[in-house]
Amino acid sequence: MKIQILGMGCPKCKALERNAREALEELGVEAEVEKVSDPAAIAEMGVMMTPALAIDGKVRSVGKTLSKEQVAFYIKEAK
Amino acid sequence: MACGCGSEKKVIITACSGAANTGLMADRVARSLRDRGDGSLICLAALGAELSGYVETSKAADLNVVVDGCPVGCGKKIYERLGIPAMQLVMTDFGAEKGKTVIDDAIVARAADGAESRIAESKIAAAGA
Repeated sequence: MKIQILGMGCPKCKALERNAREALEELGVEAEVEKVSDPAAIAEMGVMMTPALAIDGKVRSVGKTLSKEQVAFYIKEAK
Repeated sequence: MACGCGSEKKVIITACSGAANTGLMADRVARSLRDRGDGSLICLAALGAELSGYVETSKAADLNVVVDGCPVGCGKKIYERLGIPAMQLVMTDFGAEKGKTVIDDAIVARAADGAESRIAESKIAAAGA
C-alpha cells in the first residue's frame, strides 16, 4: 500500500501525516508513506486544496486534516 | 492552490468548453474569472471522468461554479450525477445566441462582470447561512 500526504508542509499537513502513521501502526498495516509537496505534482492529481490524502493513487480526502480514525477508515476501505 | 490553514472561501470553477460558440464563451469567461482571482479553474472533463482528486476537490469546495454555454447544461448535469452542489452560469443568459454570436473580448468581459456579481452574491449568502 502507498499512502501520499499532499501538502506544502503546513501544520495541518504535518498533523495529517502524523495521524496517517499512527493509523497504520494501530492497524498493523505496512505501507509506504510519501509526502508530496511540489505544487505542480499536487495539481496534477487534481487537488486544489491541501492537506489531502491519497491511497494507492486514489485521492480520498481534500482540504481536511483527517483524524487517525478517519484515516484508518480509508485504509481499511482500500485494503 | 489553497492551503487548509487559511480561512478564505474556496471557489472551484469549471467550464463546459463545448463545440459551439457558447462553449468557447464559457471557456473564456471561466478563464477570465480565474484570472480575476474569483476561484480556481479545474477541468470539467476530469470531473466527468470521475478522477478522484478532482471529485474530492469539488466536494471540499465552499462553492462550485459551473459555466455552461447553453441551456443543455452538460456541465451542471455532471455535478448532479456526482451529487455535488454547483452554481450554474449559462452563457445564453449573458447575451450570447448559440451558433450566431461572435465571441469577442467585449462580450466575454461583460459576461465575466455579471458572473463575478453572481459569485459574490453566492459567497455572501453562504456566509450568512
